[in-house]
Amino acid sequence: MTNSASIRAAKNEDLERMVDLVSRLKRLNGEFDPLLTPVDDLENEVAKYLQGMMKDSNSVVLVLEDGGKVQGVLTAKLIDRCFYKPRLVGQIADVYLMPEYRRRGMGYKLIAEAEKLLKSKGAEMIFAEFPAKNVIAEGFYRKMGFREITEIFAKETQ
Amino acid sequence: MSERTEKYYDMAISLSKFYGGKIQVIPKVPVRSLDDFSIWYTPGVAGVSNTIAKDPDKSFELTSRWNTIAIITNGTRVLGLGNIGPEAALPVMEGKAMIFKYLGGVDAFPLVVRAKTKEEVADVAERVSPAFGGINLEDIAQPDCFYLLDRLRETLDIPVWHDDQLGTAAATLAGLVNALKVVGKKLSDVKIVMFGAGAANIAGARLIMAAGGDPKKIILIDSKGALYSEREDMDKLQLVHPWKYELALKTNGEKVAGGLDEAIVGADVLIAASTPGPGVVKKEQVKKMAKDAIVFAEANPVPEIWPWEAKEAGARIVATGRSDFPNQINNSLVFPAVFRGTLDVRAKKILDEMVITAALELAKFAEERGLSEEYIIPTMEEWEVYPRVATAVGLKAIEMGLARIKLSKDEIYDHAYKMIRLSRDTLATLVKNNLISPVPAE
Repeated sequence: MTNSASIRAAKNEDLERMVDLVSRLKRLNGEFDPLLTPVDDLENEVAKYLQGMMKDSNSVVLVLEDGGKVQGVLTAKLIDRCFYKPRLVGQIADVYLMPEYRRRGMGYKLIAEAEKLLKSKGAEMIFAEFPAKNVIAEGFYRKMGFREITEIFAKETQ
Repeated sequence: MSERTEKYYDMAISLSKFYGGKIQVIPKVPVRSLDDFSIWYTPGVAGVSNTIAKDPDKSFELTSRWNTIAIITNGTRVLGLGNIGPEAALPVMEGKAMIFKYLGGVDAFPLVVRAKTKEEVADVAERVSPAFGGINLEDIAQPDCFYLLDRLRETLDIPVWHDDQLGTAAATLAGLVNALKVVGKKLSDVKIVMFGAGAANIAGARLIMAAGGDPKKIILIDSKGALYSEREDMDKLQLVHPWKYELALKTNGEKVAGGLDEAIVGADVLIAASTPGPGVVKKEQVKKMAKDAIVFAEANPVPEIWPWEAKEAGARIVATGRSDFPNQINNSLVFPAVFRGTLDVRAKKILDEMVITAALELAKFAEERGLSEEYIIPTMEEWEVYPRVATAVGLKAIEMGLARIKLSKDEIYDHAYKMIRLSRDTLATLVKNNLISPVPAE
């Protein structure tokens, strides 16, 4: 990688590469739990999802670009929790960096940029959701000052 | 299975039964009368215990610890037989112990353990370490073997070795260094394709890079194809096989995707350590390599490609894992000597730098005898190579501050030579005096 890596808002022409990156993230999640097994037409679903987010003014879609190529992606959206204070919070939905761009502080920069944008939209708190067994993600968020506030337990219907 | 292999199977079973295994413990002190028990055992031995209790490192002087290692396995990847369990691994570990003694003068104890997880194996190794001057991990499936070597190198203050990684990798590096001399190429310039990403090639890649190979020009290929930083399964590798993940990040600068057909184009060196051939590597693939190609086909019992096929396809130097072809890449050239050297200086570790030193000394020994396309690495027959490599490793341990005692080059060599000579002479004497029965006629 070069020193010119930069973070910017996603553009339509980034879509194909972003679909690849977000699909990789969903497949990685599938490694942690069978109840996170990706659907068969994952790329299609990811494409629709990303297109929706990019049109939505309450969402944030950022990319890390280096040498003209997208090497990382972050998606987040504003949520009204209605029962709790603060009500307006930012949910970080997807963060994925290509392997060569990891452990270089790029993930922290992406989160910091998303935090700034979400705050400007009114969010007073940000949170992230990831597979319970993903200790790498857990360490990453803890280092940035996140802590666990809710837990999602799952079981298959009998 | 070939007729020849089947004959060896039969002989090994009947002779194992005849001799009741392959190794035994023999006292190394005279017993002049039963009174001597008061020296070797109680009450005298209590004085020795008291001394060691005050300074545990004295166990290297006052007991046989200094020359005794454990061969530890859980039996999860024995030879080409797979996960056959600890009892079935025992004859292999006994054989290894016999080679340790014969070629290196090292007392090796076969310690097969019933362990479900890598943590349990590590735990056993850590708990038995006070009895031993070193630990040789053997026939443990990957990626657990990488975890174990990393962890035990860290937690123990005696040398730890995993032969399937380091032994084969060191012999490969030695052969590679000399093969490159023969064809007049430099390690830092050549493109190297490593076919098979098991213990040997993963450690091999690490050693080759540390010895001066250009990571960007190395391509590793596993069952899913060439490793590179953007391969689809990288995230999974980061979780389950971080060693392979790291290599995928560092190597293959051009990010060549695909398999051997794609990766081998223009390669100077092919190091295959994959599955038994023939036909695993094809002539058409070797033909795509650069001029003066070097091909190591290390699978046993049958190399990935027959040497004559590789030569017909343009390879100038071919090495295999077999003794009946020239250039045998043989870990038995390495492990007895490495342990001889580390034990002689009471080393606390065997680090990669020491492994590279062993490989380079092995290469130098062959070079002094005159390199050729058919001779890039010594053979086991040239047994003077063992004290030579032992000396180089011992000196390196001292230089790196990892030795408990400091000896001169001559002292290490003389001691190593004496220990190996003594071991061979003892066995010969026992056989000569019929204390070990001759092999019965068929």
